[in-house]
Amino acid sequence: MTTEEVKKETPKKKKESGKQVVIPLLQHIGITCKPLVKVKEEVLVGQKIGENTDGLCASVHSSIAGHVVAIEERLHPLCGKISSIVIESDETNRAIEYSPYNNPTKEDIINAVQEAGIVDLTGYPLYDMLTTYNRIDTVLINLTFPGDVSSNCTSENIPKIIKGMKLLMKGSGALDGAFIIHKYNRSLSSKMKSELHDENIEILTVKDDYPPVMANLLAYEITGIPVPNTQTPVDAGVILSSASGALAVTRAVNEGIPHIETNVTVSGAVRNPGTRRVNIGTSFKEVIQLSGGYSGEPGKIIMNGSLNGTAQPNDEVPVIKSTTEIIVQSTNEVLRESPGPCIHCARCVDVCPVNILPGRIASFSDMGMYDECFKLHVSSCIECGQCNYVCPSNRHIIQLIKFAKAELVKLLTIPDEEATPSPGCQTCENPCLLGAPFISGGIA
Amino acid sequence: MKLTVSHPSHIREGVTINKIMWSKIAILLVLSLFSAVVFGPKALVVVVVSVLAAVGTEAGIQKLTKQELTIKDGDAALIGLVMALLLPPTIALWIPVVGAFFAVALVKHAFGGLGSTLFNPAIAAWVFMNMSWGTLTGSESVPHIGEYTDLFIEYGSGRLAEVSAIVLVIGGLYLIYKKYIDWRIPTLYLITTIVMALLIGEELSYVITGMLFLGVFILAPDPTTSPITKKGRFIYGILCGILTVVYGYLTYDYVVAVLYTVFFANAVAPFIEKNTFPKPVNEVST
Repeated sequence: MTTEEVKKETPKKKKESGKQVVIPLLQHIGITCKPLVKVKEEVLVGQKIGENTDGLCASVHSSIAGHVVAIEERLHPLCGKISSIVIESDETNRAIEYSPYNNPTKEDIINAVQEAGIVDLTGYPLYDMLTTYNRIDTVLINLTFPGDVSSNCTSENIPKIIKGMKLLMKGSGALDGAFIIHKYNRSLSSKMKSELHDENIEILTVKDDYPPVMANLLAYEITGIPVPNTQTPVDAGVILSSASGALAVTRAVNEGIPHIETNVTVSGAVRNPGTRRVNIGTSFKEVIQLSGGYSGEPGKIIMNGSLNGTAQPNDEVPVIKSTTEIIVQSTNEVLRESPGPCIHCARCVDVCPVNILPGRIASFSDMGMYDECFKLHVSSCIECGQCNYVCPSNRHIIQLIKFAKAELVKLLTIPDEEATPSPGCQTCENPCLLGAPFISGGIA
Repeated sequence: MKLTVSHPSHIREGVTINKIMWSKIAILLVLSLFSAVVFGPKALVVVVVSVLAAVGTEAGIQKLTKQELTIKDGDAALIGLVMALLLPPTIALWIPVVGAFFAVALVKHAFGGLGSTLFNPAIAAWVFMNMSWGTLTGSESVPHIGEYTDLFIEYGSGRLAEVSAIVLVIGGLYLIYKKYIDWRIPTLYLITTIVMALLIGEELSYVITGMLFLGVFILAPDPTTSPITKKGRFIYGILCGILTVVYGYLTYDYVVAVLYTVFFANAVAPFIEKNTFPKPVNEVST
């Protein structure tokens, strides 16, 4: 595809862009990007504005053309306040010259993924998955997360997802690939089957939904290799991505466009729910306005899933690379019951995917007995939210578990006065899937 | 615009303690109606007195200690109801009143109220009543499932709960279907009891009474007093079955066997639980 063709395409998509975008310099697990632009500097669509080559990092790009208004701390949907680049649009949508690859080699793919700063739904930069020291045997694409499926798995996207899978397999040198689809999502698996003509790629069905927090468990379910909490599927030789990640790879390699757009499904108390293609950095407010605005008074705005998503403090937070779903709850849908006593019904034990005793840990945490929580393997909890969902007594199990983890970090950290604070904020500890707080806290 | 910020999950399944308790009460009320058919209105009087005494005790304790009133959650009513079903219809009415007070005040609230009980309050109260006034609480007749219609309604029963096995089976299956109780304990308890009884050559017609099904579906899977680990619940179910048959074989009374079984099994439940803590799938190797 030539550059002119790409440029022709852009105006159609850009009509949904807002006047101002806020692009956080941390949209992944890893270290914060350093800004490459200064205030008042002109930027173009797709221009790289943040990068850090010191460690685990995914570079960020401008999603609109305009000039930088400010580089300051702004609200982030996952991490409190993060330094962000605020860009005001000049309504021109001038884009940089994209450099697509027609017949990409392995190096081309890795290069394109790095340049595009692609972040998977788990928050892990895809570039680091591709360039791991481990031998990658399998590429899995998880199509069981409802938010991801509803946003990205439309009929027109399926060939692109398959292409993304092939590119990921080539880029990582994996010989096998598999799409993982929920057992009862028959329409998606039949669509996939009709499009898929490759012996090395299979379609596997699983019984449960696997949101991004359960990536390690999904890798275990498919490959049979247990992945401890402190590792990622990559350590077991598996690249586990999502429909969103595969689409971004296809766009990066075939069109040269960096990760500046994402599909977001808006549901709940809005007038016109549905999927929208929006620029990274657009505020939730604008996305909700595109969906017809609020119907009634909103009570809670949730990113990525009602079970384990993050509730937002206001609707000014920007869409980031791993946003797939915005759920608006009206005021009377918001849960307000006060918790009762634990009756030891063991419903939480039955649903727990990591086989711990969530209710018991929560009770110990409530009483301040964090050492007992540690003995009951609180650090294994992945905070998927299922115990909280089934609790008949409305107990705040996840909150108590998170609190116990935070208190344990305090208890087990040896204070070091000379140590400099780690880059980035510490609030990523709560959604962190990799057990990073335990690495920094010195438990592991 | 005021937005709520909270931890996940942001939705709940909708199963609440109230629903669990009141479904159990509804099933047992149907059973009480069956017992009224067999024993006459005297049976209902025992039930009403017992429930009122239990609820009144709970309300009184919470008023006196200035706690929040929780009689609406149905736990006290369930304790009174279950306790009444363990008694014969000819009981003097002051006995269930004392029993209900013992159950709610000493077995439930003295140990910390709902969720903290060591023994099932209704059974502990029954044991207390049986030890104190054994001749008054004893039954005059022993149920015997001679024909299949006896499973539906048993006119030879001595205690209220024995009148209909089928009500308890249907009710129990409903509770399992709605996930209000766990399937492991009832299944293993029932299978172990039947297999053990067949192995030692007991007549099943004396074993499979209404009281056994009350034990299988209501008493043994009582959430607070049974183990919370999955493996623990398997062991608990098997243990209940073994104890029932052993006690029944030695005393020729499979009705009382169920009650003492649950009482003893309650006592060892914490030990079962402690020794069956699960290993996490993704354990951090230390």
